[in-house]
Amino acid sequence: MATASVVTSEQYNYDIIRKFTIMTLVWGAVGMLVGVYIASELAFPFLNFDIPYITFGRLRPVHTGAVIFGFGGSALFATSYYVVQRTCQTRLWGGNLANFTFWGWQAVIVLAALGDVMGHSQGREYAEMEWPIDLLIEVVWVVYMAIFIGTLMNRKQPHIYVANWFYLSFILATALLHTFNNLAVPISLFSIKSYSLFSGAQDAMTQWWYGHNAVGFFLTAAFLGMMYYFVPKQAGKPVYSYRLSIVHFWALSFMYMWAGSHHLHWTAIPDWTSTLAATFSIMLLLPSWGGMINGIMTLSGAWDKLRTDPIMRFMIVALSFYGMSTFEGPMMSLKDVNALSHYTDWTVGHVHSGALGWVAMISFGSLYHLIPRLWNTQVYSLRLINVHFWLATIGVLLYITAMWISGIMQGLMWRAFDDFGNLQYSFAESVAAMHPFYAMRALGGAFFLTGMVVMCYNMYKTINQGNTEAAPVAAAA
Amino acid sequence: MELFLWFTKFENTKPLALVIFFTVFCGILLYLYGSRSRGERIEEHKNIPLLDEDK
Amino acid sequence: MKHDKIERNLGWLLVLTMLAISAGGLVEVVPLFFIKETVETVKTADGKDMIRPYTPLEQRGRDIYIREGCYLCHSQMIRPFRDEALRYGHYSLAAESKYDHPFQWGSKRTGPDLARVGGKYSNDWHVQHLTAPRSMVPESVMPNYPWLIKTKLDTSDLTLRLQALRTTGVPYSMSKAEYDRNVKQFGEDVAKMLHIPDAEQNLIEQAKTGNYDNNINDVTEMDALVAYLQVLGTMVDFKQFDDDYFAKFR
Repeated sequence: MATASVVTSEQYNYDIIRKFTIMTLVWGAVGMLVGVYIASELAFPFLNFDIPYITFGRLRPVHTGAVIFGFGGSALFATSYYVVQRTCQTRLWGGNLANFTFWGWQAVIVLAALGDVMGHSQGREYAEMEWPIDLLIEVVWVVYMAIFIGTLMNRKQPHIYVANWFYLSFILATALLHTFNNLAVPISLFSIKSYSLFSGAQDAMTQWWYGHNAVGFFLTAAFLGMMYYFVPKQAGKPVYSYRLSIVHFWALSFMYMWAGSHHLHWTAIPDWTSTLAATFSIMLLLPSWGGMINGIMTLSGAWDKLRTDPIMRFMIVALSFYGMSTFEGPMMSLKDVNALSHYTDWTVGHVHSGALGWVAMISFGSLYHLIPRLWNTQVYSLRLINVHFWLATIGVLLYITAMWISGIMQGLMWRAFDDFGNLQYSFAESVAAMHPFYAMRALGGAFFLTGMVVMCYNMYKTINQGNTEAAPVAAAA
Repeated sequence: MELFLWFTKFENTKPLALVIFFTVFCGILLYLYGSRSRGERIEEHKNIPLLDEDK
Repeated sequence: MKHDKIERNLGWLLVLTMLAISAGGLVEVVPLFFIKETVETVKTADGKDMIRPYTPLEQRGRDIYIREGCYLCHSQMIRPFRDEALRYGHYSLAAESKYDHPFQWGSKRTGPDLARVGGKYSNDWHVQHLTAPRSMVPESVMPNYPWLIKTKLDTSDLTLRLQALRTTGVPYSMSKAEYDRNVKQFGEDVAKMLHIPDAEQNLIEQAKTGNYDNNINDVTEMDALVAYLQVLGTMVDFKQFDDDYFAKFR
């Protein structure tokens, strides 16, 4: 075993994966902590403390940046570098370039967070980073793309495994989206401030084409790549249907990009874009569920493992949440439902059932599989994984239940009329009604964060254990 | 030019796009599920992640 | 063509994936830059544009609005529903944000929509509300912004900002010719405010005459932000249009 592992770690570049894995845990904890804090600010506004740097408006982009690009991004770098090497049976291309993507990406996250608290913002959701950071992202991303494609070109295995297709389409799509959504005119080369090139309706369309497909490709396609590798690995059997995964891939890649303007229903964009987006959103249900079924069926025949293997539990729950939120999404994209749900907490709940339930859970499962292998050891405590699982599951459920109730309540209160045809509630009354649910949401978030901290501790011990085990071997060699 | 103008009209391009996309989709399905031997060959690929066990 | 080729040939996989992911944007987003009816024509009876670029002071207020992340809790997009008409006013037009770089339609109403907040409350109300929201609306969960009234407005890069906006296509004027064009398009009063060489002077004058923050000695960030809030949604005079005029642009 020891010799075999020496060979694998020489054959593959594991060092870079270890780095990204550790940062995934760090950014996960940091990003979720900020999330719990801003959730608490909405429940208890005194927490803003009259300090400009920590007001809700400035911390919210810190939260989204740290969890999406810090936690999610690092997890994707780590797993994509692992999967592409293992399924191509070749070492990562580009040598030290991989290290550049690591330091470059970490710099992006730190600079973005600093920029956010200082108030340097492009005023675009999930793309608040100003132009100098955008340029850095562009460079890192092109290098990442080169490394990934270079590795695929060097493959020893003639066929490119489907997980890599998903990673590839995520890399291409992110490059496309990032470039066009961040076109801006800086006020001078020495200033951070810039103004977006587009305005009004066109700018809105560009932003939500970006915003929706950041979800579609960054937070879905890429994590499906993760699913198509780590679920079969953990189950110890191949994916249920390879052909279904091919249909899944093409349908998903094609359809997602059309759905963006469902974020702009009933706004001042032409009606046909909105109708088209709703149509494609409904159709998206099919590939999404195709993928979910493919994942779940992979586990069929291994159901007994659910009782003994908490990692498997993370994966099955992730797939369930994926199925649920890809049903909820198309439903909310119907214009009549959207009329009620848009601008309310329902949207926030929907995002989090995807982000916590699907993205984070599948990452946890994959990382628990990955980390012992990277450090060539066993997991420190399976019981703690189990504790994490329950904390996370309870946390998500509390969160989305709170947001469903508050979202639907908000929507109904805003459109309620009294017997004389006047508005029944003032806006302030609807805000007051949200209070208990905002507190409940913060609590749900706290559960999820606690689980994340438990994971950090468990993995810290695991890595330590791996390092001590490796020390005598290294000395003997 | 006439031809180009035909393409600028939504009444024309919408059904055209529908036909193209649907054909491509059917093509993919037919390719994947049309022939048993090809299907089996494609399914082979699902074993790739399990080829290199490091346990 | 055999799918096997795509599976094995990286080049094909790249090209076809790129095609698949580009189609949506090409069909849905790109046409909006070319279809004229996307943005309504909104003119007065004598042919002047009703919707104008922001004055220097309002634009600086907008910068602060973005800096503080207001768009994360307030939308600026009223939808065509009866309840929103009663609560906020006429539904928003695309034209009303045509000079908005970036757009600030928002996606969440933790607080109310602000698309037509202009003129609804007095300047004093806004100053008090921004400084301590719960002193005006006890149920509010908005942060206090006490530093706005204490911070002098930075105007050092004002012309750079307006010039950058001019580069994106907002009709601020640099030359006499551009100024004359603006007189034709917006009328003389507005054209004067859009002249970049006079921007700083115009900004100070507007802050003093508007007296937004109840203090005429200094131009503060509060002046700028309140000036911006007070102009939101006030540019179009809907009385001058038939009810169904705007519907045909949808």
